[in-house]
Amino acid sequence: MSDDAPREEGARRGLTRRSLFKGAGAAAAAGAVFRSLDASAKDDVPAGPRTQGPGKAKLTLQVNGQSREVQAEPRETLLEVLRLPLDLTGAKPVCNRGQCGACTVWLDGTPVYACSVLAVEAEGRKVTTVEGLGNPDDMHAVQSAFVEKDALQCGFCTSGLVMSAAWAVGKHGPDLSEEQARAACSGNLCRCGTYPHVVEAAIAAAKTAKKGG
Amino acid sequence: MKAFQFVRPRSSTEAAQGLADSADARVHSGGCDLLDRMKERIEEPAVLVSLCDAEGLGDVRIEEDGSIWIGARVTLAQLAESDVVRRFLPTLGEAAGLAASPQLRHRATIAGNLAQHTRCGYYRVKSFPCLKRGGDSCPVRADGGVQDTAGIFGNAACASAHPSSLAPVLGSLDAEIAIRDAKTLRFVAFADFWAAPAKGRASDTILKSGEVIEAVRLPARDAKQHVGFAEIRQKKAFDWALVSCAVRYETDAEGRVTQARAWLGSVAPAPYRATKAEAALVGKAVTDEVAVKVGDAALADATPLAGTTYKVQLAKVALKRALAAAREKA
Ligand SMILES: Cc1cc2nc3c(=O)[nH]c(=O)nc-3n(C[C@H](O)[C@H](O)[C@H](O)COP(=O)(O)OP(=O)(O)OC[C@H]3O[C@@H](n4cnc5c(N)ncnc54)[C@H](O)[C@@H]3O)c2cc1C
Ligand code: FES
Ligand code: FES
Repeated sequence: MSDDAPREEGARRGLTRRSLFKGAGAAAAAGAVFRSLDASAKDDVPAGPRTQGPGKAKLTLQVNGQSREVQAEPRETLLEVLRLPLDLTGAKPVCNRGQCGACTVWLDGTPVYACSVLAVEAEGRKVTTVEGLGNPDDMHAVQSAFVEKDALQCGFCTSGLVMSAAWAVGKHGPDLSEEQARAACSGNLCRCGTYPHVVEAAIAAAKTAKKGG
Repeated sequence: MKAFQFVRPRSSTEAAQGLADSADARVHSGGCDLLDRMKERIEEPAVLVSLCDAEGLGDVRIEEDGSIWIGARVTLAQLAESDVVRRFLPTLGEAAGLAASPQLRHRATIAGNLAQHTRCGYYRVKSFPCLKRGGDSCPVRADGGVQDTAGIFGNAACASAHPSSLAPVLGSLDAEIAIRDAKTLRFVAFADFWAAPAKGRASDTILKSGEVIEAVRLPARDAKQHVGFAEIRQKKAFDWALVSCAVRYETDAEGRVTQARAWLGSVAPAPYRATKAEAALVGKAVTDEVAVKVGDAALADATPLAGTTYKVQLAKVALKRALAAAREKA
């Protein structure tokens, strides 16, 4: 699925620009920006583009198959919202600059760096974190394969690598090649150098998988 | 990041209108570059006009005249996987597929890739003085400046390098940038899209504050044209190019070049058109020996700093490899 998947639902939900302006004191200066458009609006028909923030506003996110409501500012990244209000600490903050992969989650089924996505952008889209993939009692094939193949040391990169490896397994199925597994995991850095075992784990898990699953 | 208002226009026109209303707004596309700068607080806009809900910017399509239209929000992952790109613009698909990492390619868009700011370490850290951020001079050029990724052309005032590895490909294919403002849509030739570094000017493009890139348009390509791309990096994956190069040429019946384009990336504050390489190619059949001469011609005017002399040789090698790839790829 691409980045540009339709997101009608999320875009329509939530406050209108007009009601937001009323509530957001700190927004006054920024709000002035769109006042010219606003003035031409008829009552209750939101004119011009939808606007959020700068203060906190309600966001509804679809995380691991559940609908979760949070209060967040536009400047909060998806990673911050997952970890703090939602208490999903699987995705790790390491570089916070899109350069390490520890925060990898899936957005509509494709891996992205949660530190480089704004939480407001994730509305109406499916977010999957390592917690949603499986849990200790019911592990995803890739998670069990990481245990079996000893694919982790300190573990800091692991949840991110699991998300990348599981994506590769879902995409390529049982035919997953070493090259494809390496390419899929190339955006995840591991200081402990677990890469060879990670690739082995991905390929072992793929053997048990169905294509596209 | 400093708090900001997030505006979600439904179209590029609405985005342009929004931008025109505020001096302190920025376009937000994939956010891979912009959010980094905001986290470093080298930029603190009050408003982000996001293209995340804008319609009609996400497709690659072939126009009636055979030209190819790539919407501003097309991601690098889409480019790498698009059948149209693979078939008609193979070097673009190749460059997009090699860039960054899968996670970034799923987010990074073609417009953001062109308009991204330099990765210069001085520019990116607020506590350093930097010409682009209003300082008096470029610290890269100063004694003891860290120079290893700096530019080797056009570096007299600022030695930054434009980091896009897609840009040289788009240059070699004679791309045009479709720019929307509140009232019109205009097309700018790729070579005219860039602005030289100046005190206080962070962006390397001619885009003004009320303007939005709507698309990148590529003229219909004659299937007989040869195209090639090469990129040299320290690491095999998930790394920036030290130098990238894209070429395109046509030959006559005897295999002699009649028309050529050669562009280099990461060597100057903007993508660099190697016109001397183009001139050196015309009239010759492309052999390894010719490729070496072309490289020498292209780099004759380079002005490397002490820390970037290696880039001169690297750029020659990149040109040679791109030409070798082009010989095979018609
Ligand atoms: C670790 C890492 C490795 C990377 N490696 C590579 C690489 O190998 N090759 C490469 O080419 N790149 C590489 N990149 C850069 C990456 O590709 C760019 O950051 C990305 O393409 C920017 O696109 P975006 O959509 O995320 O832009 P944004 O971050 O949203 O925007 C970038 C800039 O462009 C402006 N902008 C965006 N869209 C528009 C528009 N439609 N109209 C007007 N202005 C606009 C924004 O205002 C902003 O100033 C790498 C990045 C990282 C973090
Ligand atoms: S924390 Fe997001 S990529 Fe490093
Ligand atoms: S296991 Fe320690 S960083 Fe990867």
